[in-house]
Amino acid sequence: MKKTVKIVVALLLAMLLMMGTTGLSGAQETPGVMRIGVTVEIDSLSPLISYSQAGYEVFALLYDSLVMLDDNLEPMPGLATEWTLSDDEQEWTFQLRDDVTWHDGEPFTSADVKFTYELLLENELGMYSGYLGGITSVETPDDYTVIIGTEGPKANMLLNSCPILPEHIWAEIPEAYDTWPNNEPIGTGPYAFAEFRPGEYLKMTANESTFHGRPGIDELIFVLYANTDTMAQSMRLGEIDAATNFSPSQLASLNDESHIEAISAVSLGFTELSFNSWDDASSTSHPLLADFAVRHALEYSLDKQQILDLVYSGQGTVGTSLVPPEGFYHYEPPADILRSYDPDKGNQVLEEAGYVDADGDGVRQAADGTPLEFTLTLRADNADEVQAGQMIAGMAAEVGIKINTETVDDGALIDKIYAGDFDMFIWGWGADLDPTTILNVMTTSQIGNMSDSNYSNETFDRMFMEQQTLMDPEERREMVWEMQQILYEEAPYIILFYDNSLQAVNTDRWTGWKRIPEEGGYFFNLTNYNYLNVTPVGTDSGDATPETAATSGTSVMPFVIIGAVVLIGGVFLLMRKKK
Amino acid sequence: MKRKYLVKKIIQSGVTIFFVLVFNYFLFRVMPGNPLAMIMRNPRASQEAIERTRELFGLNESWYVQFWIYVKQLTKADLGTSFLYRLPVTEVIMARILPTVIMVGLAQVVAMAVGILLGILSAWKRGSRIDVATLSFSLITYSMPTFWLGIILIAVFSVGLRWFPTSGMLTPGQTFASTLDMVKDAALHLVLPVLTLSLVLIGEYTLTMRNTLLDVLTEDYMTTAKAKGFDEKTVIRRHAVPNAMLPMITLIAINLGLVIGGTIQVETIFSWPGLGRLMFDALKARDYPLLQGIFLMITLSVILANLVADITYGYLDPRVKE
Repeated sequence: MKKTVKIVVALLLAMLLMMGTTGLSGAQETPGVMRIGVTVEIDSLSPLISYSQAGYEVFALLYDSLVMLDDNLEPMPGLATEWTLSDDEQEWTFQLRDDVTWHDGEPFTSADVKFTYELLLENELGMYSGYLGGITSVETPDDYTVIIGTEGPKANMLLNSCPILPEHIWAEIPEAYDTWPNNEPIGTGPYAFAEFRPGEYLKMTANESTFHGRPGIDELIFVLYANTDTMAQSMRLGEIDAATNFSPSQLASLNDESHIEAISAVSLGFTELSFNSWDDASSTSHPLLADFAVRHALEYSLDKQQILDLVYSGQGTVGTSLVPPEGFYHYEPPADILRSYDPDKGNQVLEEAGYVDADGDGVRQAADGTPLEFTLTLRADNADEVQAGQMIAGMAAEVGIKINTETVDDGALIDKIYAGDFDMFIWGWGADLDPTTILNVMTTSQIGNMSDSNYSNETFDRMFMEQQTLMDPEERREMVWEMQQILYEEAPYIILFYDNSLQAVNTDRWTGWKRIPEEGGYFFNLTNYNYLNVTPVGTDSGDATPETAATSGTSVMPFVIIGAVVLIGGVFLLMRKKK
Repeated sequence: MKRKYLVKKIIQSGVTIFFVLVFNYFLFRVMPGNPLAMIMRNPRASQEAIERTRELFGLNESWYVQFWIYVKQLTKADLGTSFLYRLPVTEVIMARILPTVIMVGLAQVVAMAVGILLGILSAWKRGSRIDVATLSFSLITYSMPTFWLGIILIAVFSVGLRWFPTSGMLTPGQTFASTLDMVKDAALHLVLPVLTLSLVLIGEYTLTMRNTLLDVLTEDYMTTAKAKGFDEKTVIRRHAVPNAMLPMITLIAINLGLVIGGTIQVETIFSWPGLGRLMFDALKARDYPLLQGIFLMITLSVILANLVADITYGYLDPRVKE
């Protein structure tokens, strides 16, 4: 027993001595390395399997698409330098760059485009295959020209961010496309894949020969944090250079630091109150909820700004129509139909619709005596939504509507939605620049799939198909506005707020940050702008110093102290063991 | 050590494992919710993509067909493919086993060592100030919320003193000049999580050890030992502690068996890539194969640990015949 203790202590001392003499190197000072803290990591490295927002952001760095978005969110050349549309608007001709190589050195040609599009059209997998709807043919008359034929005019052709995959790799894979993990992605993008440690980080290195111009960042690392408090601390310490999706409570304290710029950015996401609009017999929704007057009155009773201020620390904008304001297609209801906070108006609407409080208990009833009493289902996973829901229940009482809240987990709620067994719930969506994506959720064909209100309107469905073919943006916007008008009137959703995205960047180490659009964010903003244009502060390109031995963030002190404790403890033990 | 005893124990373990497998399988599928939920809530996913994925996950088959496939795969030591990661379950779990075992294992060992020593000290000096101090320390740390403790330690040691990094297993993306550099980096990252976890676990061992030792100290053979003329230290060390360790072995075995289950709180604060967090993510996504795989690992680990404890008991305590 004595002997083992001696040996252990000796080993520990030796270890400490080694550590002490060789010194400890800090890692954070290497200038060209940018670390971005994220709360959700990429789910798969294959664009055919991934469905996460993280995946969307990363694939835009590893791969290129034909057309990209510039800092005004307008289409600009990507792998395609120019494009023309035929007179019948059903044939697109893209001229491709002729000097692009894949990360493994192989040359990029039109065959890769043809292969990728045909692969996605045939397999219909992943987040990008939906963008290719309506494409009927892909022809490649020569190595750098692609001619794409569509069924009818395709309005969102240029908003298609589908990554182009290398044929020479994907044509040869041993497994099926829906299971092949693509563990070492090869693309043409501004960053090349370096390393992925699931649950920890994803590392990419700059592509020296990218046509975008070599980025100012040498190494780009997305670091996963399971806890936003730790991420905020990390940000403060400089362990990471940027942080995304932290909580509103950290916004103010991060901004207090002089080297950090923390923003609340507008995003294409919203939170809504969804009503069960299913007219199927098996739906258990309260029949009175189908009366639009009730839905309108409920919206009048909601002080959305107050909910925003109390629950979300004011980070967000009051919601109106389905397509978020950041998009060109957003519909702003005119003053005479806009339902802003006005409980008196809410009461009026209900009175006129015939709902009176006959028995004086504060809850209105229909002519047949059924009270306006509904159940609001809230998601246990999201504490903010639960709080918001409770506030909504309180506000609804002002107009004589009684709301009982219940909180369930996501899985249980999904089961309820598909069974049509609910009155209303709160959830959210993220939209795209192309309104088709979010309008799709409200179509009849999505009932049983994506539709969570089970809403169905034939006129809406017809317009949905039509707006996809309107090439003139103004004409298309007219139609999309009409569609949103229908939705605003029939109110399957009450849009509560447009969510903000909280992001922070280190301005002492990096410069050139730009918010896209003006009130938008640095990341997850549908462009690559910051990844391509941000440069380290104080270094001229080509002057980057190799890793410094500077010990930022670590020192020898802790080991000296631990060593002392162990030493004393060891001696103590040794002495006690003696008789 | 009788062979029959060993064989019987192994067969018992096998039967337990089988029952756990069947039970786990149905337990997860009874939960409300749908593994496709994540895809379905992404407006960019097309209907066809959702259908294809449903087919891929095997969710279209009836429940007994799915169960039969599961059993067949198990006999080939194939744990299936994770819904969340689309990688073989064994691969996903293997990647996280080492980090989990290192961190939680180390924390448990430290907690055991310190806890047992403190327990012995406490029982020996019962009633004295040392006893009170040790008891208070144990109870306070035992009842501390792990999450809170972790955040405090980060605030003090990471942000305040800058001695240790805040999170992760290694500095992200760092390429190391040598293995020694990597070990140093890993060691620095290991300190706070291990400290947090072991502080919270010490109480369990201290209190249990103290109680068992106090029981033993009142036994007749302790009086005999004292009568034989041994000094106090030897009496405690040679006669009391070995007997008190018997119940402790069961505790140690179970806790070591559970090490593989990770610890979700510490893993969340420190963003440690462990099996606890993996289990939680798999649960949220209703990733049945992954959940089944992880639970299988934990079951095997705990049963193995118990088996070892049983056998050790047989050796240590001559009173235990088969």
